[in-house]
Amino acid sequence: MNSKTMYYILKRIGLAILTVWVVITVTFFVMHAVPGGPFMSEKAISASAQAALEAKYGLDKPLLEQYGTYLKDVVTKFDFGPSLKQRGQMVIDIIGDGMKTSAKLGVIAAAIAGVVGIVLGAWAALRRNKLIDKIIMVVTTAFVSMPSFIMGSLLLVLFSVVWMILPANGADSGGLILPIITLSLYPMAYITRLTRSSMLDVLGQDYIRTAKAKGVSGGKIIFGHALKNSLIPVITYFGPMLAYIVTGSLVVEQIFAVPGIGRAFVRSIINRDYPMVMGTTIVLAVLIVVMNLISDILYKVVDPRINFE
Amino acid sequence: MKKFLALLLAVAMLFTLAACANETKPDPNSTKTTNSQNPTTPTDSKLAVCLASEPDTLDPALNSAVDGATMIAHLFSGLAKWAKDDSGKLVIVPDAAKELVEGVANDDGTVTYTYTLRDGLKWSDGKDVTAKDFEFAWKRAASDDLGADYGYMFEVVDGYGTDSLNVKAIDDKTLEVTLANAVAYWNELLAFPTYFPVREDVVANEAWATKPETYICNGAYTITGWEHNSVITLEKNPNFVDADKITMGKIEFYLSDDSNNMVANFKNGTWQLIDDVPTNEMAALKKDYPEEYMVAGQIGTYYVCWNIGEDILPADSGLTGDEAEKARAEIRSAISLLFDRNYIVEEIAQGGQVPASSFVAMGMTNPDGTEFYKTAGHNDGFDGFYNVSKDAVKSNYDQAIEVLKKYYNYDGAKFTNFPTMTYLYNTSEAHKAIGEYLQAQLAAIGITMNMENQEWNTFLQTRKNGDYSIARNGWVADYNDPICFLDMWISASGNNDVQFGKGEHANAKIYSLDLTDLGYDVKVENGTWAETYDVLIKTIKGCTDNVKRYELMHRAEDLLMSTGCICPIYYYTDTYMINKNVKGFFSNPLGYKYFMYCTIEG
Repeated sequence: MNSKTMYYILKRIGLAILTVWVVITVTFFVMHAVPGGPFMSEKAISASAQAALEAKYGLDKPLLEQYGTYLKDVVTKFDFGPSLKQRGQMVIDIIGDGMKTSAKLGVIAAAIAGVVGIVLGAWAALRRNKLIDKIIMVVTTAFVSMPSFIMGSLLLVLFSVVWMILPANGADSGGLILPIITLSLYPMAYITRLTRSSMLDVLGQDYIRTAKAKGVSGGKIIFGHALKNSLIPVITYFGPMLAYIVTGSLVVEQIFAVPGIGRAFVRSIINRDYPMVMGTTIVLAVLIVVMNLISDILYKVVDPRINFE
Repeated sequence: MKKFLALLLAVAMLFTLAACANETKPDPNSTKTTNSQNPTTPTDSKLAVCLASEPDTLDPALNSAVDGATMIAHLFSGLAKWAKDDSGKLVIVPDAAKELVEGVANDDGTVTYTYTLRDGLKWSDGKDVTAKDFEFAWKRAASDDLGADYGYMFEVVDGYGTDSLNVKAIDDKTLEVTLANAVAYWNELLAFPTYFPVREDVVANEAWATKPETYICNGAYTITGWEHNSVITLEKNPNFVDADKITMGKIEFYLSDDSNNMVANFKNGTWQLIDDVPTNEMAALKKDYPEEYMVAGQIGTYYVCWNIGEDILPADSGLTGDEAEKARAEIRSAISLLFDRNYIVEEIAQGGQVPASSFVAMGMTNPDGTEFYKTAGHNDGFDGFYNVSKDAVKSNYDQAIEVLKKYYNYDGAKFTNFPTMTYLYNTSEAHKAIGEYLQAQLAAIGITMNMENQEWNTFLQTRKNGDYSIARNGWVADYNDPICFLDMWISASGNNDVQFGKGEHANAKIYSLDLTDLGYDVKVENGTWAETYDVLIKTIKGCTDNVKRYELMHRAEDLLMSTGCICPIYYYTDTYMINKNVKGFFSNPLGYKYFMYCTIEG
């Protein structure tokens, strides 16, 4: 790793921190500008009780002061504060609980999408225009065009109601199987198509023809030369895929009643649970920023020709 | 090569699936089989139900949700409780109290109740339940510092709003409470979760109600497992004084609010009760599961409310001040007659709801046992303030047109100078569909009503502030007494969405009130809202004669409905599905569900 690369990485980390700060600031002020509040309910509480609660949680202070306190607590103490709606619980604990499930869901879905997608893509490319290629292309086109809420509902009805072989509820053992499949189908199909076209591109390159001419074995050409180079576009898809999995899991968690961070996030916004909204936003923002950073650095690792300037 | 790739693919799929499948293979019918093996040993019995998503809190004082109240009713034991008597009728019976005593009237009009606690009452950690725990819990629940949604449930107790709520423990077994005046629904309040006891040393830990270990309760069950956002497990509390009467050993409350997911879990037998059903599947489920699809009454009204400050008169009407105020009331009442409520409940809502002809919901009863809504409006030939029977749709409509003709230009089919209005509703397909029906009915006679939807919390704020012309609204009773539908409309109420007695309406002198025939020295002609409605509600709250009190409440509803600001649509129902093998289940009119006396047969 040369100094240019180091400089680039440091610059990217600096930018990542800046991005997170901007997200925190914008979310904080937009959230407070939205009408309604955490103590708003269909059956109104008395004005004095409301005042007492606002004082308790510091919501009676000027907005800038609240912002300063919040930022200080998060940065210096990693303290996201208490939930205003789920009284007695700390935001960090709620997020931790949800993250455990969501991370499991996301990581496994991403792994399936990557492994299966690359294998299928390579297979299709090697059998170009044969029957198997056509089948793979048709199926992946269907998966790419079907939104996750339709796919999820379909799988739910088939596997949990008609055949009764998998649980419909994410809390049960084995309950994550259906959500994982639902979540992984779209990126899997996308990666398949990406790998296929990029593999075809690589297979037509001069160095492959040279290797063939020199008598290198088929397996060695594919695994030693073609596959590695055809994965570069797939790695660039890593960032967007993560974003898809994070947002997609909001939908999937709802359909399968999975106790993940997505449901907690949506609920906190509806409830105007300010500390929860901030906490989940920060966690998701950091996650996406970090993953994009990793994907960019990996990019460089697999293709040394890429210049960071 | 092909074989190799195929193998690799298969291995990869198996590996990843196995990784998430955990150790056990799921068996959707496991609950059923376990139960059918042990029909005679109730302590092994288990129910899995799903009411809603994770409750915000299971602290009895802080809870304001129906699903939370159901769980709390299984976990705590207050002075009184809901139960079924031998004839199957729902009644309030003593629970922690030996008996539900009559109050003793004091010279200053206050009423004192002295309760004796039963022997052998224990907390789930083995300590004794004392009267002090009740005193502490009530004072805590009523305090501003706690800021509970239902703090106002203690409004009837003497000293509410000050630091000294008039309740005290005389000794370990005796609790004395003084009410500001006699309250007809006092026993019902005692069965309400906000009135349940908590122990001072337990709740000193602010997070006590979030973990099974710290959740010390005194009811039929204790929490033995709580996976946040997925499932709360309740098991029979061995320290409960009536433990031998509890037949259901274990209840799992699954936490989800997705009605499609609930139906999937009900159909495959995983859950025995689900509390929500998707509207578009109601008809099919009703047909396919006739024994298991249930519609229960719920004391609540879905209605449309007008902002009383909204000027709906034509620009050239020439009416001002009180004249204009009266005209608007007449117009609003007329518009309410344009809608066919039977069509709304049958074709749009589809949940077995009942067309509403009054604001105080179906399910409230007069002292003589008749239904409150049937005697509302004092009409002959039909119940309520207008006739909601199918035969009356045409005549209601014609009547409305005649009234509107007095104020607007009518070209034979349409009104040409009705100002454009906006209908505000919170984002939901069901509310939208009803709004669109209202819109279409008005459009047919030339009235333009635009639709605006807002996200829930924003909607609440907008409606509360009165920044709307017409809005969707709904109210569900907290206790079985009509006053909870009526006292929300006094000028100072936080739920006064119509904005009665605010802004210009504060000066409108068009209301009359005469209570001299009931023996009160109250007679107001052409008074303001504060001089009439507010006074009437205050009179009701101070009235101890039940017959008179109900007559006063009927008059309050008459006055409220005369403004035309409330346009009732339907009375709510509670639709749920329950496995036909579950016996001994009941629910109360507030929608709380009781599983403790359930058994599973078959």
